[in-house]
Amino acid sequence: MLEGYVSYVGTDDAGGEDPAATRARLRAGLSPGFSRRATVLGLLIGGVLRGVMEQCGGTTVYASAYGETRTLADFLDTFPHESPTLFQTSIHPSAVQQVMIERKLPIREYVPFAGGPCLAARALLAALLSPCDPVVFCGGEERGSWMADIGVASDRSFAFALALRKSRDASTLARLRLEPADGDPEARTGSAPGGMAFPAWFDLLHSRRNFNGTVSAEWRLGLEWT
Amino acid sequence: MAFCPVQLGAHGCLTALGDAAQTHAALLRGERALSLVPVHGSAGGDPVPLALLPGRSLDETSPPSWLPDVKRLMRGCPEAPWGGARHPVFVTSSNFGVGNLYEFRRTALASHLGYGTPEACVGFIGRELGWGGNVSIVSHACVSANVGLVLAARQVASGLADQALVFTFDFLSPFVAGGFHALKILNSEFPAPYQARATGSIGLGDGAAFAVLRRPGTGWIIAGQTLHNEMHHFTAFPPDGAGFIACIEPLVRLASGRRLWIKGHGTGTLDSGRLEAEAFGRVMPSCPLVGWKGSIGHTLGSNGLVELAVAVESLRSGRIPGTVGSAAPAFSETVALEPITDGSFDGVLCASNAFGGAHAALLLCHA
Repeated sequence: MLEGYVSYVGTDDAGGEDPAATRARLRAGLSPGFSRRATVLGLLIGGVLRGVMEQCGGTTVYASAYGETRTLADFLDTFPHESPTLFQTSIHPSAVQQVMIERKLPIREYVPFAGGPCLAARALLAALLSPCDPVVFCGGEERGSWMADIGVASDRSFAFALALRKSRDASTLARLRLEPADGDPEARTGSAPGGMAFPAWFDLLHSRRNFNGTVSAEWRLGLEWT
Repeated sequence: MAFCPVQLGAHGCLTALGDAAQTHAALLRGERALSLVPVHGSAGGDPVPLALLPGRSLDETSPPSWLPDVKRLMRGCPEAPWGGARHPVFVTSSNFGVGNLYEFRRTALASHLGYGTPEACVGFIGRELGWGGNVSIVSHACVSANVGLVLAARQVASGLADQALVFTFDFLSPFVAGGFHALKILNSEFPAPYQARATGSIGLGDGAAFAVLRRPGTGWIIAGQTLHNEMHHFTAFPPDGAGFIACIEPLVRLASGRRLWIKGHGTGTLDSGRLEAEAFGRVMPSCPLVGWKGSIGHTLGSNGLVELAVAVESLRSGRIPGTVGSAAPAFSETVALEPITDGSFDGVLCASNAFGGAHAALLLCHA
């Protein structure tokens, strides 16, 4: 069994919020240049990391299935006169990089995941296996423009950040544990029956709900809030 | 720093020059796979140096034109229940199927969308190769493969996996060629890594590779891996080169007593090449530095594993290809322009870099 203790949680459920509204809402405390240049996902990630920024320097695990899809869509539309700024910002995993470059905060191990049916479980496993203490685990999606309409981008915006410690202390907000799922390990080769979708993971954190169930074919997740 | 040493079991790569052995042999001969290709493929544009797999066009197709090559490469991967609970797969790329997304936007052919996201593209590959669902998808620009190797090693070392498969692929398209061309580092010049010259330039290459990691035994060992992200600027490193040293220092200590050479990142850009060569020259002054992207191009997120496979061939044969495409003067006296045939080395330090000031390195040696 692998376990960790949540000492910080930040979430932002922007849902279908208009990008301009998200930008205006999260502008406070940011430099004018950053709030103008940052992607929607970069702003959301920056917002949820605000309370844990100084703990990101060891290991930060990041998860996003679609990344900067609005920038990617805009970049595609610049052909044949491609925008260098849109190109570099569209590259996964730029959201955390935008935030950290703005603050000049290095990260020893930056571990970015980019999708999959069990994205949250895979990223959480990586966070729990990291030797670093604490580990920051963050992620999210930005609602796509035309790409969402054709199913290659998220239809909602959200972001989360957790700080995970290896032992319980006064700051503990929740206990997380991953246990092997029941049954023959090598028989569990299907494409994650009962796996937890990435937005469902976010909803768990946002609503501070307890959970005990399968998150991938290989793992059961226990989440208990104190 | 806690390392997770693992055995590098079966491995292989595919470049425009062929498999790992063919690529190694061609590099020793000083062959350059890069040739000038219109940056937007059939849509034209400026000629830029690209190294495409033989017979492959820059334009993406549906299904992707690289699938037969991937299947050929993976025939060298041993049979195992890959994607099962104790046989995790780590798929890494900086591109995945973004070339198909570009083609969809250009042609409106909906069939391209089946490969247009990392999840869709990896799902397609997994079905073609018969993998189960225990697949992690990792993307960190040009250190993607390195991050996948770190994660795979941790699962093996922790006892959660019997073996882990890392598979990486980056096939070029007008999307990525156009992006680097917009940054003005992909121009009509061929790259000359670590060469002090007036204009810097890179070349891009198709690449794919795999590695099976196991608990340490005989054979080749990845003794340690490190990562470091400077978060200084998206496309530039701080002028003191400190990040290069911060990344490799733990491995230099780990390698104490070994005779090493260095396979550097060396894309052909001037500032990064100078910082890298000078930093390695300061910390490892007796270790020759080579770079191969002047021939096979920069295979982007896959370069860390593609070039590792070629590095194994070099160690195995005792013949290390030089820095193909470059000439004197170099940024450091340690840069080896010609092949090294001294077989006394017993390890190699392989380094890669990426956007955002990302550094990755690993130490490969014999058990």
